[in-house]
Amino acid sequence: MFRTTSGTRRVMLLLCVLLLSLVFVLPKQSRSLLQGIGQPLAQLLSLPMTALAALDRGVQEAWYGYLALHQVSEENRRLQRELQALRGRNNELRELGVAGQRLAAVLGLKERLKAKTLAAQVIGWDATNWYRAIVLDKGSRDGVKVEMGVMAPDGAVGRVVKVMPFTAMVLLITDPNNAVTGLIQRTRDEGIVEGTPEGRARMKYIPLLATLQSGDVIVTSGLTGGFPRGVPLGTITRIDKAEGELFQSAEIVPEVDLHKLEEVLVITDPLPVGDGLEPPAARPGPVSSEGRP
Amino acid sequence: MKPALYAALVLGLVPLQTSLVHYLSFVGVRPDLCLVAAGLIGFLAGPVEGALVGIALGFTQDLFSAGALWLNLITKGSVGLLAGLAGRQVTNATLATLVITMVSLSALENLVFLFVVRGGGDLGDRLSALPSILLPETLLNAALGAALYWLLPVRPSGEQEMGRRPIGMVG
Repeated sequence: MFRTTSGTRRVMLLLCVLLLSLVFVLPKQSRSLLQGIGQPLAQLLSLPMTALAALDRGVQEAWYGYLALHQVSEENRRLQRELQALRGRNNELRELGVAGQRLAAVLGLKERLKAKTLAAQVIGWDATNWYRAIVLDKGSRDGVKVEMGVMAPDGAVGRVVKVMPFTAMVLLITDPNNAVTGLIQRTRDEGIVEGTPEGRARMKYIPLLATLQSGDVIVTSGLTGGFPRGVPLGTITRIDKAEGELFQSAEIVPEVDLHKLEEVLVITDPLPVGDGLEPPAARPGPVSSEGRP
Repeated sequence: MKPALYAALVLGLVPLQTSLVHYLSFVGVRPDLCLVAAGLIGFLAGPVEGALVGIALGFTQDLFSAGALWLNLITKGSVGLLAGLAGRQVTNATLATLVITMVSLSALENLVFLFVVRGGGDLGDRLSALPSILLPETLLNAALGAALYWLLPVRPSGEQEMGRRPIGMVG
């Protein structure tokens, strides 16, 4: 294939140039062409990706298991041998317990949330460093579509930006290219929540007269972004009110630890405004039904 | 042999990049395996192979990135092509020339990303990406490229293996 004559090389280069020209001259058509070519390839790649994600989890569990055992002194080596077997089993059970708690939280959220959702597992991160995005193990075959909202038990995670048959890319709320309409839970003022380059989020276009406080909770407004009203986005940590500007802005720490995501819910059908998250039975959730229009 | 190796790279690198490369991350930035592969192939095997493998790798990478479906396709193809052209200019491919090539190409590609992905942001946001993404990724890519080059069982030396003109470093 690569033992080519100069004529073949010229044809190859010409094909490359034609392909690049197509991308720039006919962007829409070329996008659908690339998507058509890419879908079977993505389907093929989803298998090793899922396998590697499982391997990654295994490696992490083994590593943390090793760290936990590392501090045992040499004097206890004999006892350690006996203990190791028990600890191994204990670790397994603890991991199962944690996984059970996590899944129960996801299930609990699913029951509280009136919107239709689909549980998905995180199998990877964006292939470049320039986007804060995750790869899910659910795709168009499971009903996932572009612009659908994605959340974890603690709050909003991001929105779907690219869908392949078995996988989907989710742009996180901390990415500077993402924007979701937010609502300050206490004052009911609206604004736009965008990601920042530092990996946090910022709420912009908040009315000057809004009486913000550090610690105020921001929730989704339900107007755009594939989320129902009332999904927690984050907590205000700093308020910026520059003189002469028409709006104020606030820095937000996301409610969800986006570095430790394992299971998420894709919101396949958010209900109309007002039919969002219900408070859990045991303790009041971050959003109550008070203040609904 | 070569086509099989390239096919394995195209099918294997992106799953690795999305799931396991975070173990190699430095200040939260991961090396770009596809860029390193396209650069190395271009540098060692010539611009056409570099460009073709770069395009294939970039396209696969685009499928699992939140960006547009052409960005990596074009940049990785260009990296392969430019690495090949750079490789042609040296009589003896050494570790130093490879590192210089990788640093230049990685910085160039990241600058393209900076203007395409963060082009809409204010200047402060764009400048903050230089030390937080561009610099660490460039260093990681160059280090990884150098390590892989050093580990290669057969390294080309001189114009015979490279199949290139014996012209030394020319402008």
